[in-house]
Amino acid sequence: MNQADQQPTHSQPTDALSEFWKNLKAAPRLLKETAFRTGKPTTDRSRSSFVFGNVFLHLHSVRTHRWSLRWSTTMGLGIASTSAFLITLVTGILLMFYYKPYTDVAYQSIKDLHFVVPTGRFIRNIHRWAANVMVICVMLHMARAFYTAAYRKPREFNWLIGMGLFVTTLGLSFTGYLLPWDQLAYWAITIGANIAQSPRELTDIHNITTWFDPGGLNRLILLGSDKVGPEALIRFYLLHIMILPLVLVALMAVHFWRIRKDGGLARPADATERVGETLEPVQPVFTEKPTKTYHLAALVKGRTPAVGNGPEGTVPSMPHLFYVELSVLMVTTLICLGLALVLDAPLKELANPSVPENPAKAPWYFLGLQEMVAFSAFMGGIGIPTVVLFGLGLIPFLDREKAGTGEWFGGPGGWPLVKRSIWIGLGAALLVEAFVIRFGWLREWFPGIPQLIITFVNPGTVLTLLYAAYSVWLVRKWNSTRAGALGLFTCFLCGFLVLTIIGTYFRGPNWEFFWSPADWPKH
Amino acid sequence: MNKTKHLLLWSSVGVWLLLVVAAVQENYWREWRQVQASATAPDGPLEIRLRQVVNPTLNISDRCVSCHVGMAPGESGISGPRLAVVHKPVVHDPAEMGCTTCHGGQGAATDKDDAHGDVHFWPEPMLAKNHLYAGCGSCHTTLNIPNAAVFEHSRSTFERLDCLACHRVDGRGGTLRPDKGGMEGPDLSRVGMTGFKADWYPQHLAKHNEAQTGVWKTSFGPISEADQKTAEAFLSTRVAAPRLVEAKAQFHSLGCMGCHKIGGGMGGDAGVDLARSGLKDPGQLNFAQVPGAPTLSNWLAEHFRSPAGLVAGSQMPMLGLSENQIELLTLYVLSLRRRDVPGSYLPKDRVSAMRFNGREFSSDGATLFSALCSGCHGATGQGMRYPGLPPFPAIGKSDFLSLVSDEFLTETITKGRPGRKMPKWGELGLKPEDVAALIGYLRQLSVTPAKVETTPARWVKADPNWGRQLFAASCAGCHGTKGEGIEGPALNNQVFLRSATDSLLTETIKNGRQGTAMRGFSQPSSVFPALTPAEIEAVTAFIRTWEEKKP
Repeated sequence: MNQADQQPTHSQPTDALSEFWKNLKAAPRLLKETAFRTGKPTTDRSRSSFVFGNVFLHLHSVRTHRWSLRWSTTMGLGIASTSAFLITLVTGILLMFYYKPYTDVAYQSIKDLHFVVPTGRFIRNIHRWAANVMVICVMLHMARAFYTAAYRKPREFNWLIGMGLFVTTLGLSFTGYLLPWDQLAYWAITIGANIAQSPRELTDIHNITTWFDPGGLNRLILLGSDKVGPEALIRFYLLHIMILPLVLVALMAVHFWRIRKDGGLARPADATERVGETLEPVQPVFTEKPTKTYHLAALVKGRTPAVGNGPEGTVPSMPHLFYVELSVLMVTTLICLGLALVLDAPLKELANPSVPENPAKAPWYFLGLQEMVAFSAFMGGIGIPTVVLFGLGLIPFLDREKAGTGEWFGGPGGWPLVKRSIWIGLGAALLVEAFVIRFGWLREWFPGIPQLIITFVNPGTVLTLLYAAYSVWLVRKWNSTRAGALGLFTCFLCGFLVLTIIGTYFRGPNWEFFWSPADWPKH
Repeated sequence: MNKTKHLLLWSSVGVWLLLVVAAVQENYWREWRQVQASATAPDGPLEIRLRQVVNPTLNISDRCVSCHVGMAPGESGISGPRLAVVHKPVVHDPAEMGCTTCHGGQGAATDKDDAHGDVHFWPEPMLAKNHLYAGCGSCHTTLNIPNAAVFEHSRSTFERLDCLACHRVDGRGGTLRPDKGGMEGPDLSRVGMTGFKADWYPQHLAKHNEAQTGVWKTSFGPISEADQKTAEAFLSTRVAAPRLVEAKAQFHSLGCMGCHKIGGGMGGDAGVDLARSGLKDPGQLNFAQVPGAPTLSNWLAEHFRSPAGLVAGSQMPMLGLSENQIELLTLYVLSLRRRDVPGSYLPKDRVSAMRFNGREFSSDGATLFSALCSGCHGATGQGMRYPGLPPFPAIGKSDFLSLVSDEFLTETITKGRPGRKMPKWGELGLKPEDVAALIGYLRQLSVTPAKVETTPARWVKADPNWGRQLFAASCAGCHGTKGEGIEGPALNNQVFLRSATDSLLTETIKNGRQGTAMRGFSQPSSVFPALTPAEIEAVTAFIRTWEEKKP
């Protein structure tokens, strides 16, 4: 940026050759300057320019509140989810070099990846573990956002975007499940497709399936055929490698951008005082006099959350936030690599439509649903999940309270309420399960009972009602929606945990209860 | 900030370390590298590198020799662990043909379990040692194998003639020359493939006659023509895979081909084509009822013990086989793994089978009968009753054989019994001379010679309406009111009606048929009254009414 470069030497046209050499030598430096216009990010101003001058970084705000940088605020779960997604993206693209999405060669290409392709097994293992880490991190991230009441105004919409990301993540994981085309994949997807078909339980009861069959339509849209076959494979492949990743990336961009536009991460009103004085020297915010005027601001009506707020309590995102984010990325990578080195991704025998797996189990994150599907296909597969998703979406609009925003278990009741809810949630789920496993349910007692009754009165709905009743009681007791929401969310989390664990470890052939797979009958 | 920097540093170092571990694992810790490191070449330590047999024509790249480094192409004199031994001398050069061509397994894998296919769910594991000969079936198909009894006879003849005094066959026999070195006679283990001189006998005899002393004088003598033929038949089966030939002879003894074809060759249509049964993916099989490890050989063995127990709805009867028979059949079915072989590697037996109508079974009457007929009609033609299937009639009894003409038998064998299990063998590849050989074999089962037919084929003149009543009373219970056959065979069968003479019908009704439920009606029984000759003729006339007259 020195003066000599900016003044072309028109006065010496004869020396064009030396000019050429000089420019050639300067090319690397010029390249750097034109790519990064800001120079070294040493001052607050250059650090800010570093962020907003970069298309990827400018999704962040240029300054980050120090409350957001505390580990306890987010535990890095959002960035961990993003990191896991990036890892699956990279490894997934590598896998695509060898994978062939046709039923007759798909399995063989995975075998080749596993046995023949150098590092193929390692890459596939990383992909698989990163996918699981992503599902877990997204769930925990959602729980974090809930427990810190981060969904509250003005972040209601970002909570909904987050739900979209959650569903897309599950969709990505689920569509990837079919691709190896082994027995595990085939029957897990068959179960998944049956869950999608479960509205048929209701239409069957009313004998209207022949002319009104939303369940069958669901299944048909999902599989492209009446059974899991080549059409389903190509459908799932396309969803897995193109459509869902695009949706996810788009939602992620909105999600991140909204964090900035919503004034950073949620924090308590007194966050600035509570983080205290910073221990390291902070450069003054404006070291140079602003030279630009912001006429554009005149076009914008209304106010964003950042307007009117000073830079108090904030530090430049570069480098403070980026170090944190990079650390989380590396820790996530470390976890995925470590798991991938030790544990191989499963690959069973070639898919065989004539030999059903028994028990055929969906991916682990759907086993809670499958456990409920075992009671009633419609309620477990569609009814309760819809109610839960709908409820989750409504939370930010119902809870308009102020107390406890940005704080763990913030709101009336706080941690003691959550702790009690954990015991109640776990206890109720375990009791209902134990009762059903020990004594059976209506169908066992009254074999002739209409299915409609079981659809609405089954262990899944009973558990849901118990939780809902408890939540209503909490709302009345604390006179607070937030208190009810805390209890209900905790209960559902516990119920999900219990049902998933039972579905994963304690269900054997014909979905019967077994203490251990060692007790399973030999077919 | 400092804490974060440390976390970033150490997590990055951790990631880097794990990547290094993965790289080292991939590049240095592999089993085959350790094996090669412990082996030594004649001129110093062995160079450690991935070794493989590549043959694009056979579509193989077998990395087995990375561990079995003594068998690697171009390597010699390697000493070291037991793994590094050289391949025992075989006709096919492993450096050219590769390993998986014969042994199966995953050539591309470089870990022991993966390569041997012992990992879960690998569809084509290596062949076990006791089933090694099954690997020959990838390319070869041995021809003209007789049934077990005929084969055993030829082997015992060969041994009785004491050919093993000079010749070595399948690792047995032969004498070292005391003075000149080498063996007295050439090794005959592969003469089935390489062929032998047609005039071996005159040459042997001439040498015997010339010689004054020595082995030619003492160890050889004149052989009868029949024994020469038998010995030659034995030699033509010597293809360096004695156990596989024995297994195939067993397959030709149990009548399996009455229902099964192999790769579209001769055989019935009732069962599946067995062409690639040796390549069944164990992952696709149900092992719930199979004892032992979930291997294809265990599944096959259990399947022979109880077919319908493993394959739901299987019509294959329980054959009551001995364990030795099961072992041999398992080996044989494992050898049914025929692959597409590029032209330059096609062995001549396969070419012969593909293009020159070479047959896997020999064409003598005994082998034809046991390979094609014995499954249903019994090893001695005694008839069989399998649970769930209609009884198969006896055809080897004297009363039946003395009654039927060669024409009747020929017609029945070539045209079959439409609607019944008996196939039209004439359309399935059985040639007229085979039918003749079969009839010849059947005839020698009977102690009484075939009656010479003097009466015309159709001589019965009686009232069919009277016959209808008699048939309904005495015959319809087993043969059905329309002669469609229930427990007993169908009588309204056109092939049967065309070929059966009136004498055959009346005699059978009169005397019954041994080995079947058909009793003689000339004598009264506890259930049925006796029929007079006139009544029998009336019944015959009624049966004739089902015959469609030729337009």
